[in-house]
Amino acid sequence: MCGLAGIARRGPGGVSAERLVRMADAIRHRGPDGAGLHADERVGLSHVRLSVIDLARGAQPMANETGTVFVVYNGEIFNHLALRSELEARGHLFRTRSDTEVLVHAYEQWGERMLERLNGQFAFAIYDRHAGCVFLARDRFGILPLYYAERDGDLYFASEVKALLASGEVERALDPEGLDEVFTFWASLPPRTPFRGIRALEPGCCARWQDGRLTIRRYYALAYPEAASESADALEALDELLHSAVRLRLQADVPVGGYLSGGIDSSIVCALAAACSPHVLRTFSVTFEDPALDESMYQQAVAAAVRSQHAVRRIGSGDIARVFPDVVRHAETPLVRTAPAPLYLLSGLVGEHGIKVVLSGEGSDEVFLGYDLFKEAIIRLLCWQRPQSRRLPQLLDGLYPDIAPAARKGEFWRRYFLAAGAPGDPLFSHLPRFLLTARIKDFYSAEFRAALGRFDPLAELRGRLPHGFGTWSPLARATYLEMTTLLSPYLLSSQGDRMAMAHGIELRVPYLDHRLFEFAAALPGRSKLRGLREKDVLRRWARGLLPPAVIGRRKQPYRAPDVPAFFDGRPPEYVEALLDPASLARTGIFNPPAVAGLVRRCREGRAQGFRESQALVAILSTELWHREFLGAPVQASAALTAGVKAAAVPASVAA
Amino acid sequence: MRDPTPPLTLTAITDRTRTYIRDTFLYMRPDWPLQDDDPLFGSGVIDSIGVMELIGFLQSEFGCTVAEDEITERNLGSIGAIARFVHAKCNADGVRAA
Repeated sequence: MCGLAGIARRGPGGVSAERLVRMADAIRHRGPDGAGLHADERVGLSHVRLSVIDLARGAQPMANETGTVFVVYNGEIFNHLALRSELEARGHLFRTRSDTEVLVHAYEQWGERMLERLNGQFAFAIYDRHAGCVFLARDRFGILPLYYAERDGDLYFASEVKALLASGEVERALDPEGLDEVFTFWASLPPRTPFRGIRALEPGCCARWQDGRLTIRRYYALAYPEAASESADALEALDELLHSAVRLRLQADVPVGGYLSGGIDSSIVCALAAACSPHVLRTFSVTFEDPALDESMYQQAVAAAVRSQHAVRRIGSGDIARVFPDVVRHAETPLVRTAPAPLYLLSGLVGEHGIKVVLSGEGSDEVFLGYDLFKEAIIRLLCWQRPQSRRLPQLLDGLYPDIAPAARKGEFWRRYFLAAGAPGDPLFSHLPRFLLTARIKDFYSAEFRAALGRFDPLAELRGRLPHGFGTWSPLARATYLEMTTLLSPYLLSSQGDRMAMAHGIELRVPYLDHRLFEFAAALPGRSKLRGLREKDVLRRWARGLLPPAVIGRRKQPYRAPDVPAFFDGRPPEYVEALLDPASLARTGIFNPPAVAGLVRRCREGRAQGFRESQALVAILSTELWHREFLGAPVQASAALTAGVKAAAVPASVAA
Repeated sequence: MRDPTPPLTLTAITDRTRTYIRDTFLYMRPDWPLQDDDPLFGSGVIDSIGVMELIGFLQSEFGCTVAEDEITERNLGSIGAIARFVHAKCNADGVRAA
């Protein structure tokens, strides 16, 4: 993977190479292997490269034979070989083996309709010099990021916000509504971001900029055409799709490794990869000192079963607090969990072992209904349908095994779920989570509350649900909400791409092969959630592939310590400084006396529930985020800047 | 011999419980309008983790041990309900101020 950035001018002002270099330098971590730029009187493109395919000749920006179409691209087109054959048959001439060049010719051949043909994870910008337009696109599920901003008809775009800010022409300001979404959904929902005026291109969307106007279009929509019953050949089809999804994602001119959590999803991916890979598979895991969070026993069992060369990053006391400022800098958003931090450390471990590409089991819980949230939604629905039942509410006691047993049973536990909302609400499945997360807002300052006015993120989400949402099954509706509110904007971003790319590691996500998603979306809900057994079809398929203990194992949510990460002993200096009342008052988002109460409880070891742990992480990360992005400008280091210039300027600067 | 510590009054239990709940669960929202008979759970003042903390408080503050089958809305659903529950236990069990 790589990083891209660019500017398109409405008028003939040109784009300076220096400005493009600054933008590229801000995201140099995404592409440590090379850099390049193109600049003319209207459009400037810059790129930093992580070399994975055609290491010698895949430099970007890449142009067609006539220099009329340029592309800067971040990602992988996994079916590029098939597309290449098709394009060659139509007379297109290729100079490299790279998938980047396939994009150039695919655009020439099919225009924007090219997107329907791509199987991949990507974000790219194509500059069509003849048409005077810039075409931006992002993959179907939002695996890779793409941001943009507009000013007086000029367009700015980049893989990360910090590149936009480094242009010096994009405003640094917070969007209160974007923050309020983070404190409701765990992330701002694209196109909104926590930055005023900076938008995220939505997954499955493309944008065309021409004559100073940007037009956005959805080319892929999630759909759930569930069958009434599972077809007799479902396991056979799943087998073919899983093998194909993994095989395609092993394509690279460098070794590909795998993340191994110890759960069934990553274990399947690693088992398939180990069987297909020409190398001994390298697998990587995080383990925790806290036994309640640790899965190392299962990780080792799978590593032994697939005969991988396994490496472990043990997360100890102080590790999360130590890297948390870096985590927020890379995530570019406030967070409500520390869970990205271990993944940041894990990608560092991958890099230390010389691996650039890893497969991940992300996406399976959404595609095959792995989360307890789906069970919770069904139980709550049944409770509403049969209010006299005394047994049904008791089923809620079996959910969320990561919560202390004494707290997850009985009348109050059940009430938390049952009082959250009625089935008539389209957000029914997610209301307990949304309402719990929103308790962070108890800590808002009066001024910030006033700035938000009557903004209601839940009402806004209800208003933008797709046509047909109400006709889907309750499970399909829950899946859609999970994919659009959490998977794409948080898991694939703050826990996924951002933490991997912080160390120049490319994450590949086989379960989000769109063919696999479409297969699973068309299965009946009970094929995935049979009674209260999650991922049923996947477990049936995996028999014989993995150790029985792994196949039969219940989903363990991935979690990292929150409050103890900062308050197990004396907090780091930066934590003390950020939570200081005067500092909080300067930022103005949170109420200093309220935060002082939280800090007191953290120090006393009494802040044990989600409400307070998420508040602490949210407040700390917001203060870090504010300092990083809204305070001093993003500075490029002189050494890196020099490196980008040397690599880039001679080849393609036309201005 | 007479017990030197008299049983707590309903008012004293109510006052201490109210102070505890405000300090523990509403420190971030001191303006939250909470009356003694307002629901603690439906309104989101306390969640199930908070219940565990509340039970620990009742034990340490009043010496009142809460059995599992007593963890109900009827007994713990409001400041008033908690006070009545603890007061009844005090009188029935001879529990004194801890």
